Amino acid sequence: MSAPERFINRDLSWVEFNRRVLSEAQNPAVPLLERLKFLSIVGSNFDEFFMVRVASIKRQALAKQRSTCPTGMSPRSQLKGIHTAVARITEGIYQTLLDEVLPGIAEVGLERVTPDRWSEDQRAFVGRFFRENVEPLLTPVRVDVHQDEPPSVRNLQLHAAFLLERETGGESQDPQDPPGPHLALVQVPRSIKRTLFLPTERAGSVAFTFLEQVVLEQAYQLFPGYRVVEQCLFSLTRDADMSVDEERDEDFLEAMEQILEHRDLSRPVRMVINRRSTKLQKVLAKLFGLESQEVYACPDPVDLAPLMEIVGIDGFEALRDETWRPVPSPQIDPDAPVWQSLRGGEVMLHYPYESFEPVLRLLREAAEDPDTLAIKITLYRTSGNSPVVRALVRAAEAGKQVTVLVEVKARFDEERNIDVAQKLERAGAIVIHGVARLKVHSKALLITRREPTGIRRYVYLSTGNFNDRTATLYGDIGVLSSREELAGEVGLFFNSVTGYSVIPGLRHLVLAPHSLRGRLLELIKREARRAQEAGRGLIIAKMNSLADPVVIEALYEANNAGVKILLNVRGICMLIPGVTGMSEHIRVVSVIDRYLEHARIFHFENGGSGETWLASADWMPRNLDRRVELMFPIEDDEIARTVRRLLDIWFADTVKAHQLGPDQTWKRVSAKKGRNVLRAQEEIHRLTVERGAIQEPENRQLFSVRRTGEAKKR
Amino acid sequence: MAEKKKKKKSESAVEKKRLVSVIDIGSTAIRLVVVEIRKKSHWTTLDRAVQPLSLGRDVFLRGSLSPESMREAILILERFQELLRGWAIPPQDVRVIATAAIREARNRDIFLDRVQVRTGFQINVVAGIEENHLTYLAVQHALNELRPQFSRSSAMILEVGGGTSELMLLSRGRMAGSHNLGIGTLRVEQQVLGSSGTTTDNGRVEEFLREHIRVTREVLNAEMRLDKIRFFVAVGGDARIAAEQVGTREGELFSVISRDAFVTFLDNVRSRSVEECVRDLKLTWTEAEGLFPALLILHLFMESTAADQLIVPDVSIREGVLLDFTIDPGHGIRKEFVRQVSGAALALGRKYRFDEAHATAVTHLALQLFDQLKDEHGLTDHARLLLEVAALTHDIGYFVRADGHHKHGQYIVENSEIFGLSRTDLSIVGNVIRFHRGATPSPGRSSLGALRWSQRMMVLKLAAILRVADALDRGHLQRIRNITIQKEESGLMIQCESLGDISTERHGLTIKGKMFEEIYGYQVVLL
Repeated sequence: MSAPERFINRDLSWVEFNRRVLSEAQNPAVPLLERLKFLSIVGSNFDEFFMVRVASIKRQALAKQRSTCPTGMSPRSQLKGIHTAVARITEGIYQTLLDEVLPGIAEVGLERVTPDRWSEDQRAFVGRFFRENVEPLLTPVRVDVHQDEPPSVRNLQLHAAFLLERETGGESQDPQDPPGPHLALVQVPRSIKRTLFLPTERAGSVAFTFLEQVVLEQAYQLFPGYRVVEQCLFSLTRDADMSVDEERDEDFLEAMEQILEHRDLSRPVRMVINRRSTKLQKVLAKLFGLESQEVYACPDPVDLAPLMEIVGIDGFEALRDETWRPVPSPQIDPDAPVWQSLRGGEVMLHYPYESFEPVLRLLREAAEDPDTLAIKITLYRTSGNSPVVRALVRAAEAGKQVTVLVEVKARFDEERNIDVAQKLERAGAIVIHGVARLKVHSKALLITRREPTGIRRYVYLSTGNFNDRTATLYGDIGVLSSREELAGEVGLFFNSVTGYSVIPGLRHLVLAPHSLRGRLLELIKREARRAQEAGRGLIIAKMNSLADPVVIEALYEANNAGVKILLNVRGICMLIPGVTGMSEHIRVVSVIDRYLEHARIFHFENGGSGETWLASADWMPRNLDRRVELMFPIEDDEIARTVRRLLDIWFADTVKAHQLGPDQTWKRVSAKKGRNVLRAQEEIHRLTVERGAIQEPENRQLFSVRRTGEAKKR
Repeated sequence: MAEKKKKKKSESAVEKKRLVSVIDIGSTAIRLVVVEIRKKSHWTTLDRAVQPLSLGRDVFLRGSLSPESMREAILILERFQELLRGWAIPPQDVRVIATAAIREARNRDIFLDRVQVRTGFQINVVAGIEENHLTYLAVQHALNELRPQFSRSSAMILEVGGGTSELMLLSRGRMAGSHNLGIGTLRVEQQVLGSSGTTTDNGRVEEFLREHIRVTREVLNAEMRLDKIRFFVAVGGDARIAAEQVGTREGELFSVISRDAFVTFLDNVRSRSVEECVRDLKLTWTEAEGLFPALLILHLFMESTAADQLIVPDVSIREGVLLDFTIDPGHGIRKEFVRQVSGAALALGRKYRFDEAHATAVTHLALQLFDQLKDEHGLTDHARLLLEVAALTHDIGYFVRADGHHKHGQYIVENSEIFGLSRTDLSIVGNVIRFHRGATPSPGRSSLGALRWSQRMMVLKLAAILRVADALDRGHLQRIRNITIQKEESGLMIQCESLGDISTERHGLTIKGKMFEEIYGYQVVLL
């Protein structure tokens, strides 16, 4: 008899997460454009997944490495499992897209028109558009299928492939040139929007097609003297993993840039191709050395990324979720500098329910403020032309000491981050390009001001990035504080990541990779001890992924000591709940809704004197061992109570929640008979609006009058 | 207009909160602290940084800093400079000190110069006995809550460094002895291995330290009975590591480790390799390397005492430096410090069997003169302290021979350790003693040796006062106690309460007042 399974494979669990996202796309209760968005998200999730994870497992398989997975699954069987599951989900995506979403939006006048249904007008429009805008950008490449080097098809770029034959009667001058068939490739231009809106006669409606269809339709013009025999569209997903030589300190940015170029030519791990030509499919698969399971033959559109352009189209409000406008935090006085609202202690900001604006405003105010001495910040993912970066540049130009830790190794944001780093350097900021061998994933801000009562520091610690865009999409919690001890420790944290100091002993903050793993295990063990002593123990944790075998074993042990464990895990979960003698007190729930659940919150009941922590880290080996992360305690009782209430709400969801069973499958949670239906994100939004409304400016009996000279006094 | 005024006012309020930084270039690390002085001698630590760097290894093994270490040190100091720019601290409020490693490096002047050129930092190389003073200030600050207990029993304060160790003995709160011992965590390597090997062998280190400390303990025991010591204060990074691991925090600025827990921890460290210490105790390599010898040295001294626990203050020489340049003279810690210094001078006097009644009477008189002549001499409180020490010890040369006792006194003082005084201080005191009789020197005189011009002037001003004070107790009978000075055109009139005949004193003054007249321009007249 084999030992009972203790873990779920990490990557299969990630695929399962995408199935849950897909189930939102399939959910008829969700507005159609939101469903389209979920489809596109699953598509881009898989792109990244293949580039990073599948590529890495494939490398293991090719190197005939032993399994590194705690389930003991071999790399081969992992790959097989992944491909089988992804293929099935991909089928689901197209079924939903083609049978439900696209027909649904067409009904209300947002119609994809395939080339076979283009009207005369539309055809003429497309022809003109092709000649003027597309053709000049196309570079057809003829490929000799027998050559050693496969052609340079860039990662995730959509290409058209053609099989050509010489027109009958056309004699070649070159005896070396056989009559065919020849293979030719054309990259669909990157610089043009993929969605092409077509003229339409129906008032109030929108017709669109995709650029790749235009290229295919007009391709005959590209090969004079040849006839297109077969054609198709395809894209390759390549291994995006990279290792940069960390010893190359002095020109680290340059080394990173080289690696990014390399990413476009590394080993392919997947080909997505439309089902136009089985012949081409075979030729291409052979050309790029892909196994049959790595070839995903799909209907059009093969690339799901441009669906986001449709989601973002103006109008069609009926096809979307109602707007939940982020509420300004009632604890931040809109008429005074942000730091004034922090003098009393701490303010929690819960995004996207609450606005990210206070953080931006704090940065802008600090940049302009003559009494601000220094600003220190970590940037992991930041948005293009970010207001955060703009404020930092202004502050540096104003002569403040601005120290920015830009993680240039943040995957897929490398280029943007290199650009940000250079921009800041030019402005005179001290820019640290990350830490050797570790990614700096923590999100921290420290502002030092000289105030009449002395030095005062303001800190902001968050579970989410300094990114104004994701702050409207990701559920994160940030804490603004002027607490002296906390600020001091954040200062020490910055000293260690900027190379001023060795890692200091910290009392409030917990730092990975230094001490986070140890502390987590300690906290879990303490809870187990409490349960044994008092017969009662409770751990409630919310995170994106739970994939650390050591932490999971500690949770199993705590389970066996009688601790009740509630886990809200959005993505990967390697823990198997509900198994007698291992995890019968553990419940795992995943909430997939309009906002991406992103907060990391860990609550330990600790025999009545509960401790609640926020963190930038998931419980994954990479977060605990290979990244610089911060976990920080919520010390303000009011905030701790608020967060504790939030945790309960996430576990009470009966609309958007899925629960993991002992059989390792996820099932949608539904309201028990007679019980209230609750949708966590809606409930939190409602509560946030309610809380904000109490202190709405309308209720005030006094105008906030601005008079010259008074601002200075503040 | 009104607005402008207001702004100015708030600016000056801002200025009152002074930011101060101390950088300490030690034998095993370079450390930085930034504090905000909130009230007199009350500060909040705002920032800290540590960069391990084993300068001591270079110096104690090879005698000089290696080019790599020098480069590394300068790089660290440049980073610290960048850090300090973020605090906008003016250069005069940054103190950079260096201890044993730099002090003993043959190429220290090159190092000091390079640092100055590259960073602008002027390094103050702290003399061995001055380290004691700074450590003591810091300890006192941290253990303020324990002061009542300290004043009732005996205590040993020990700071183990990389190059040297500071040891102080307090008897009922009074300084009974202070020593800068030539043992340290890095130096022990050199002492055990010479320059030949690099392997550290805990057994040999232990054998060496046991023997070395046994001898030291015997010497100390002559100064004060070690087995009566109830308080054992362990200062330094290694003690703090032990406190973090096995101690309990008892005060705002100190922790306590029970003797048993400490011994267990020492055994624990003894049985581990340096690598294991790094991994298991989460230490830097440099910290882990010195941990065992440091704890062992602490243990070997603690063994000789009756203390049942180690008190580990959260302070270091850096806080001592901060106190030294931030506290004002009226502050308790400063007063206490002055008492400790005069206690140490008194102890030295007793050692050389001085006439204590005469010495204290002259001191009392000299200080009265000093205080009442403030406008004339323009000297600081530190000069007053040196005068006090010089007055207390001015006649200790008699121990050698009456003839030329001023020269013998100078020799004795300059070759002794008086708690709280630097080598320069001792040299000033020695010269004041030297010139408390005999011919009046000129400031250019070569015997004033290495002293700077301002220090030479100080010697002359203090010696002139000491001469007058000495004359006022010429008969060694303490007939004159309190004096009042009146400045008149004809000279300085000294009014005194006297008991009995003071003709000897009157006569003495005519002889010993000459130097005073030359220096201050007043004839001294005893009314």
